[in-house]
Amino acid sequence: MNRKQTDLAKRLVLNLFIIALALGMLYPILWLLGASFKPSNRIFTEVSIWPSVATLDNYREGWRGIGIVGFDTFFKNSFVICILSALANAIFCSLTAFAFARLKFKGKNLWFALMMITLMLPSHVTTIPRYIMFRRMGWINTFLPIVVPKFFATDAFFIFLLVQFIRGLPRDIDESATIDGCSKFGIYTRIIMPLTVPALITTLLFSFLWTWDDFFNQLLYLTSPNKYTVPMGLRLFLDSSGMSSWGPMFAMSVLSLIPAFILFFSLQKYFVRGIATTGIKG
Amino acid sequence: MNLSKKRRLQENLGSYMFLVPWLIGFFLLTLYPMGYSLYLSFTRFNIRTPPQWIGLNNYLVMFKGTETLSRDERFLNSMWVTFRFVFISVPVKLVFALVVAMLMNKKLRLIGLYRALYYIPTLLGGSVAIAVLWRRLFASDGLLNMILHTIFGLTNLPAWISNPTYALYTLILLAVWQFGSPMIIFLAGLQQIPREYYEASAVDGAGPIRQFFAITLPSLSPIIFFNFVMQMISAFQSFTQAFIVSGGSGGPLDSTMFYSLYLYIKGFGFSEMGYASAMAWVLLIIIAVLTAISFKSSGTLVSYGSGE
Amino acid sequence: MKKTMMVLALITLGALVLFGAGTKETKAADSDVTTIRWAYWGSGQRVEISQKAIDIYQSRHPNIRVNPEVSGGAGDHFVKVDTQLAGGNGPDIIQVGGNIPDYADVLLDFFPHAGKEINLSVIDPSAIDSGTIAGRLVGISTGVNMPALVYNKSLVERIGAPLPKTAMSYAEFKEYLRVLKGKLPAGIYPMQDIGVLSSNSTPFGYWSRYNGTPLYDAATMSTDVRPADGQRYLELFAEYRREGLVPPADIAAGYAENNADTSMVIAGKAVIGFLWTNMLSGYQAATTDELAFIELPGAAETNALWQPPSQFYAVNKDSKNIAETVKFIDFLVNDPEAAFVLGSDRGTPASSTARAAGSASPADQKVIDYMNVAGPHSSAETDHVPNDTEFNSTLYLIYQRVAFGQITPAQGGQQIYELLLRMIGK
Repeated sequence: MNRKQTDLAKRLVLNLFIIALALGMLYPILWLLGASFKPSNRIFTEVSIWPSVATLDNYREGWRGIGIVGFDTFFKNSFVICILSALANAIFCSLTAFAFARLKFKGKNLWFALMMITLMLPSHVTTIPRYIMFRRMGWINTFLPIVVPKFFATDAFFIFLLVQFIRGLPRDIDESATIDGCSKFGIYTRIIMPLTVPALITTLLFSFLWTWDDFFNQLLYLTSPNKYTVPMGLRLFLDSSGMSSWGPMFAMSVLSLIPAFILFFSLQKYFVRGIATTGIKG
Repeated sequence: MNLSKKRRLQENLGSYMFLVPWLIGFFLLTLYPMGYSLYLSFTRFNIRTPPQWIGLNNYLVMFKGTETLSRDERFLNSMWVTFRFVFISVPVKLVFALVVAMLMNKKLRLIGLYRALYYIPTLLGGSVAIAVLWRRLFASDGLLNMILHTIFGLTNLPAWISNPTYALYTLILLAVWQFGSPMIIFLAGLQQIPREYYEASAVDGAGPIRQFFAITLPSLSPIIFFNFVMQMISAFQSFTQAFIVSGGSGGPLDSTMFYSLYLYIKGFGFSEMGYASAMAWVLLIIIAVLTAISFKSSGTLVSYGSGE
Repeated sequence: MKKTMMVLALITLGALVLFGAGTKETKAADSDVTTIRWAYWGSGQRVEISQKAIDIYQSRHPNIRVNPEVSGGAGDHFVKVDTQLAGGNGPDIIQVGGNIPDYADVLLDFFPHAGKEINLSVIDPSAIDSGTIAGRLVGISTGVNMPALVYNKSLVERIGAPLPKTAMSYAEFKEYLRVLKGKLPAGIYPMQDIGVLSSNSTPFGYWSRYNGTPLYDAATMSTDVRPADGQRYLELFAEYRREGLVPPADIAAGYAENNADTSMVIAGKAVIGFLWTNMLSGYQAATTDELAFIELPGAAETNALWQPPSQFYAVNKDSKNIAETVKFIDFLVNDPEAAFVLGSDRGTPASSTARAAGSASPADQKVIDYMNVAGPHSSAETDHVPNDTEFNSTLYLIYQRVAFGQITPAQGGQQIYELLLRMIGK
């Protein structure tokens, strides 16, 4: 009886402690959310998260964007780039991963080692030469320089993730399929691919989110405002408007975080699985 | 004999078909650009006129200086800033991640929700929006000072973000705040430790602290090591946060001048593409060496257990 | 299982079709319409008025499309343009500033187009001179500009201080700052620490002219600034800092002073700041307080002010639409309707036909008034220090070292001198 009570008290304290710590950590984000509903002149005078006067003006004004292009365009562009990148990564990284994890061929260890090295390569080393190349192809101010590399499985990280996952699958399934006369491609599409769906979803998720936040490449390759993405829109917004527009700026910041939020809460277990199998950076 | 050879060739060819996209990408988008930037690192190249071969000069200026140019003190400073950032933020982040992971390993009804909450900073941390927010939190009239003033009545507070003593620590805090990924990896590791270990040691009269040092820490050591290497590599390349938080300047007084940021300023701001390429290669070498050292030392520090 | 495969195949196909469609579409549009790419940097207001001018031009010339490529700040702008030029894919029109000599090689000479696509005869000769490098006219001035001190008039009135005189000596100026200091509440400063700003060192350039030691002479490739000069300048501001006339170093560094958004004056934390005249309308739009101009101290005695071109419209010499592009620039600088829309945002027009159009906003009127008063207190521009961007960035670093007390003004003066020599020698 007594023991049960102290147990309960312990639990309560633990729960409270975890919640308090979480609130402390999330305070800046909650404050951002609150600030986006405050009238501009109150944003920096109110510590409280809850707006004493709530308004949607910030959202209305922010959505109009900068001069000639609205945030609807920035969102549309971001979505197009991110969806294409995510799909391309999922398809082509999984093809490559299948080869590394399941097939036997000469030079496999060498290629695998090289692939793992590119995982640690600082991207600075390739930026300029890539730019010169893409421009020769006339790809500047299109989405191609951002999306097309993903069709060539350049994100070694996702290959690694999928290799890890495929290696964890029991081998006897595809061995029996081979005996049944199934081709390699058949094994891949009929057996491995369906079994790796969880890892593929993880790949889709992270490619989407990282492309969404990949400010640098977008800055480099997209030159006219009607091709700009959400992070660039935010930056442009920050650069070019007066103090009075902190409100709209915060409002658009909140909107820019929503896709990540939705994806995370609807597909939470895939996040955890992806991170735990590979040890994601960041 | 001949037949099996042919078959093997066919087998190889079939396998390579799967590798074609990656191979094209590797040669065209990674290897060739790397070679080209290595070449550029031995040149003076301002982007507008063709590169000019200057041998080792770029590398000499970084560390020693040449007859005509003095040593680049800003470069050495950026190196110092980056090392401090990496070797403070990564350990603190890992300790924090481990502590929270142990909390998250408790059997509580709402544990799923809690784990999600603690991952949110990591989820959002890489965005421009959060970097902008950080700038506002630590400005002289920012949220932190507002809180310290209205709640604790403190005055004469520093402008954290524009004070050379504190600016780097605001960035370290931003990095530590995003402890979610190592936390989840630790959590996965904690769940692998057999319960019997703890039960057995409890019978022997070990308290939670002794258990932590005798069981938890040794069992987790490969994971700690793995987390450390991964976090270190990405910390060395940090760019966006410093860029947005310092307004692209690395200031005040170059106190947030991360290596990548200086590389960017040199290359794109001052149009010294050759020098910037050389810096990229030095970074590559630093990361490679540190990774190698970590792997070497892991042999003595990490226990892989006897189970698997 | 088959389903999964089908779905994935369809998705890939869809993606490929999307690509194809996307690229084809733009190509089709390219063939019957000439597209001019116009790269510039600027504020929300500049983007809006530029677009208005583009709309007018496009309605007159339906076969022309002008695509603006806007960057928020000059830094981003040049990074982008440099990278594009490196890739051989530069825009048609490149907006350049004082760094025009750095770009002269890649820019078109306008002289062969004079009287054909562009009318140069109505543009002030001094403006033509400023865009001419080695006998080639590589930039058409967007208008003239002047350095000035901006102050928050409403704030001065609110605290009950007297308004500043437009022209003051350094001694009078310091006295005035002290008067402000006496009336201001804690946390608001008489002046931002404008000695050297993160993105521009114009006040130092001004002071060295006032001091009779210009930063750089391109003809002799030398500087007149000596370590002792730099030291005196650093001491001047160290004195302001000690008296609290400018904020402590860490507060000052919190405001990048790139634009209205990062300005301490607009934030209401300082009364006086530094500003180029063309930026007034943008700043005024960002605050409900009234802003006004005074001269930098000592200009009346020394004529140390100057009236440089604000920026230039320059044309990439590799442009594929040179004739159409030059025609569009003629419209921007000479057309009255365009001038009316563009106002003084890129400087007060240098073309007589444009000036005749008049101006719409009170801020533009203030700029014209200031130029009328301060114009006589100016003289010919001095040459820009080579490697402008790096000079400014490093000078700011030295200035901050002194401000944060890491080195003495004497050491700072020495470092400034060495920096100048290094930039010139490069």
